[in-house]
Amino acid sequence: MNAIIALSLLGIFTLFTGIFNWRKAMLPIVVIGLAGVFVLNGMDYFTTPSWYADYTHMVIFDRYAVVFSAALIMITAMLFFLCKQYYQKEDNNISDIYGLILFTLVGGMLMASFSNFAMLFLGIEILSIPLYILAGTKRLEVTSNEASIKYFLMGSFSTGFLLFGMALVYGAAHTFTLDGIRQYTDAHAGDLPTIFVAGIMLMLVGMLFKVSGAPFHFWAPDVYSGAPTLITTFMATVVKTAAFAALYRLLFYTFGSAKPIWFDALWGVAALTMIIGNFSALYQHGVKRMLAYSSISNAGYLLIGVIAMNTHSANSIFYYTLVYSLASLVSFGVLMLVTQDNGGDDSYTAFKGLARNNPALAGLMTLAMLSLAGIPPLAGFFGKYYIFINAMENGYIYIVLIAVANSLVGIYYYFKVIVAMFAKDTAPTKIAVQPAYLFALVVAAALLFVLGIFPDWVSGLMN
Amino acid sequence: MKEQSLVSDYIPILIQLCVAIGFVVATMLATHLIGPKRKGANKLESFECGIESEGNARLPFSVKYFLTAILFVLFDVEVIFMYPWAVNYKTFLHEMGMQGFFSMVIFLSLFLVGFYYIVRKGALKWE
Amino acid sequence: MNSINEIIRTIPLNYYIFLSAVLFCIGVMGVLLRRNIIIIFMCVELMLNAVNLLFTAFSAYSSDPAGQVFVFFVMVVAAAEIAVGLAILVMIYRNLKTIDIDQLSRLKW
Repeated sequence: MNAIIALSLLGIFTLFTGIFNWRKAMLPIVVIGLAGVFVLNGMDYFTTPSWYADYTHMVIFDRYAVVFSAALIMITAMLFFLCKQYYQKEDNNISDIYGLILFTLVGGMLMASFSNFAMLFLGIEILSIPLYILAGTKRLEVTSNEASIKYFLMGSFSTGFLLFGMALVYGAAHTFTLDGIRQYTDAHAGDLPTIFVAGIMLMLVGMLFKVSGAPFHFWAPDVYSGAPTLITTFMATVVKTAAFAALYRLLFYTFGSAKPIWFDALWGVAALTMIIGNFSALYQHGVKRMLAYSSISNAGYLLIGVIAMNTHSANSIFYYTLVYSLASLVSFGVLMLVTQDNGGDDSYTAFKGLARNNPALAGLMTLAMLSLAGIPPLAGFFGKYYIFINAMENGYIYIVLIAVANSLVGIYYYFKVIVAMFAKDTAPTKIAVQPAYLFALVVAAALLFVLGIFPDWVSGLMN
Repeated sequence: MKEQSLVSDYIPILIQLCVAIGFVVATMLATHLIGPKRKGANKLESFECGIESEGNARLPFSVKYFLTAILFVLFDVEVIFMYPWAVNYKTFLHEMGMQGFFSMVIFLSLFLVGFYYIVRKGALKWE
Repeated sequence: MNSINEIIRTIPLNYYIFLSAVLFCIGVMGVLLRRNIIIIFMCVELMLNAVNLLFTAFSAYSSDPAGQVFVFFVMVVAAAEIAVGLAILVMIYRNLKTIDIDQLSRLKW
């Protein structure tokens, strides 16, 4: 909880650094502040969560919340290393952009730690409202404007569904606390009233919008490809992690004993998400849009972890989101560098010759693509492995078969990037990279490698 | 008070509705039939005298109005949190001492910070 | 307070549920069918207000103030959201000189 308060203050402080013209000090302040928040958050790992009775049980920092928050803070800190080079030309409002990113992180942490529907709602909104603005930060580009308004419309639309679901659940259970609703669900598991069932379904619709699950995914490719690439990275990593943390927490802590109600629906959504995501990604000409569809298909794999819901699920979901976030960070990071000087051309041909002219970048991109494709020594493989094994324990064979088939499809389009990078090029160009930028990418890629060799380091954090 | 209301309880409302609609329709019909009809360029003007009106009334107006209006809405809506706080203030004092007071001080100081930010950003400058 | 709850309770709970469900559906259809962004905003507000009505009704029926407090949160967040939405709209209007959603098709929908 202290971490959330400190982070909010850091966000406000960052806004003021812009006003007082402390441009030079801004980035160090943010990064050091995030390190402090990371430590504050880590301290909660060792205390018992009951200490927070002060906040009338609105949020609870159990290990689940602490571990997810730590991942969110870490990924955001890495993104800040990319910020400086990406927003080189943007001078006037850079402090506002930093502040908004920090506020988004506050929302993400609330989504991982809520223990009351009010906090879930506020967390989602604190996460979303700054993102609507961030998606439009390239003010003069129509695509950025368009991404912003589409994200806004779909976001507020889905919030409506979520709220209607909450209202119906409240009408049946007469409480907003997760504990109270779980008691109600356990007591009435056999014969839940219709409004409660309808409430669960509407809440699921709202949450599936946020995680871009299949029938509700249509906004994602447009928003991802229209938004500034740095913000797209943020959406694919931090926002996705927070959304899954919230979805799993919601289903596990409240509606766990009502599993027969939502299981079939979520099973279908998971299968559909994987199939639509992977097969649409096959036909994309732009790498950015391909990565957007890849993000949708990864949401499908993660949904398998959600429906499995046994003692290992939280760990496997965490491991998968962390690994996927790192790989996305690297791949979007390299994409930003490739597109920064060529007028925003993100087609596969733009990657041609990268291996010869910029071997370091090509190496990083290759690692990220191999991890996303799930090639054994890398962490991406173990992410998928844990999710699939987890589902097999419960006997969900068919969904795992669908997922494995989809992973094979995925390998094709991830390798298309690698093949393009190692193809011969006619016009060699050297891409200028700032040291901080390269540092963040190298750390992320190294983590992909290390976590692949020692997956136990993070996969047991919640036990 | 009765737990259930019957359909017959709504009959007065129905009558009221009929009267309201009937009055509107009747007056509109009456003015249409009885009133004199003259058409001409001057009659169709928005204002019969004064300066000639120009252009369309639905002109997009300056974004400065919009900014002020939005900021007003944002700060105005937060007042709704103060009503329940003020109503229950005595209970807070009994149960928690000054904690109830300081919560509102924190809440309001965040607003002051926001307001200071707006002023420094120049969002309220009219020129 | 109690007397207000009693007055609210004179109308059966189902009526509130049906009314807010209908309002919510009107809002949803409006968002999906209308092309003017401002009207879409209004339909989103309609959805949220349907939810507010439902919260209030349930709150009165279960004599639990939490539902009414939740309405405050929804109202404040809706105001913040619409402020951001209108700002985005102004930005789009400056670039495109229109607020018709059909014009926003540079990205495939």
